[in-house]
Amino acid sequence: MVCGRSSDTYSALAEHILKWAASSDPGHVMWLNRNITKQKVGEEELSGLLEAFATDATTLASWMKQTFIERFYGPRPHPFVRALQRPTRATLLGYVVEHQHFLRQWVRSAASVIAKTDRRDVTSYEIDNIVTEFGGQGSDAPAHYELLLRMGEALGLPREDVLSTSPLPRTKQALNFWAKLAERGHWVEIMAAMHGLELIANRDLVEEGASMRYFDPAILKDEAVPEAVKDFLREGYEADVAHSEEALALVEKYAKEFGLQDRVRAAYLQSLDAFDLHLNARLERGRDYESA
Amino acid sequence: MKVREAACALCNSEWGDHWEEVDGQRMFFCCWVCARAFDHMVQEVKRRTGWEALDEVKIEGDYRGRECAAIRGAEAYRFRLRFDPETGELLVFEPIASV
Repeated sequence: MVCGRSSDTYSALAEHILKWAASSDPGHVMWLNRNITKQKVGEEELSGLLEAFATDATTLASWMKQTFIERFYGPRPHPFVRALQRPTRATLLGYVVEHQHFLRQWVRSAASVIAKTDRRDVTSYEIDNIVTEFGGQGSDAPAHYELLLRMGEALGLPREDVLSTSPLPRTKQALNFWAKLAERGHWVEIMAAMHGLELIANRDLVEEGASMRYFDPAILKDEAVPEAVKDFLREGYEADVAHSEEALALVEKYAKEFGLQDRVRAAYLQSLDAFDLHLNARLERGRDYESA
Repeated sequence: MKVREAACALCNSEWGDHWEEVDGQRMFFCCWVCARAFDHMVQEVKRRTGWEALDEVKIEGDYRGRECAAIRGAEAYRFRLRFDPETGELLVFEPIASV
């Protein structure tokens, strides 16, 4: 669950983690700090905590939601989410420049799921998702990717500039993780890692404990906000509830069928770490535009 | 410098067993990343304040960002900072203006 190493029992997993934590391995120590506890406990207690962490929620999908809320919408929401409540031009431009790389990888990951799966419901879902996110359906329903570029243009950044800008190191690091998973992972792991991230814009998370929404919906009625910005934000606001819920249901169904629950949890946790990096990169990029 | 005895001087974790000297004082850290980050923080505060040593650094927050107060006698120097979670390098260091 921590480093991709599989264990048959929570006791064996606890033993493995304790061994690495005792040698001060940053990856294992940080994982414990962020996900389990900062208090040192023995093997038996850690085994129980690990089992509770993995199985507390009634379903895998609800565990994914609760974990997402704790990581991004808990008492200390992610700084990018806080910045997006009333976003500045700089924050939105940082979003545009870094996120376009994320969406390009998104399509590769979705295509990888299609290439690897033999389940028709999954194939249909991913095709629909690629159309919504990247392909679009004519001028009446432009893709999320196109809406992102239009938002940049409305804020004064030509799409040529956006498309010719390389990702920041933190986005690149995150992209490398998703690319590697798309290449080597099981398609259920890839689905969990990618579509679980759509929870960021799921406005219904507030009913399940999130401390805030992705952005203040009042922005969508604010006359001072350019229409292209509202169009982009509205698309995610309206689409990602259904997107993420449907994907989570598929992940739940097939993780159980293939006995992949633990691998799915591990891939998802690593994906959340990568996403955290990418959100930080959006803020970092935004600082380039603060004085512009 | 006053630091926690049984937990990481930076993040308050009890895991790990990494000991390192910062300003001539042996301190406990959960991993080398926190040790390097803590050292960077102390050196940056000393550089900006001109203080030769710190009595204590009060730290609140987590890996996404921390608000701190360095103490020297009756003086306090407040700042925000964020580290690279993989290397412990300082990414952001912003003094907080006194009210």
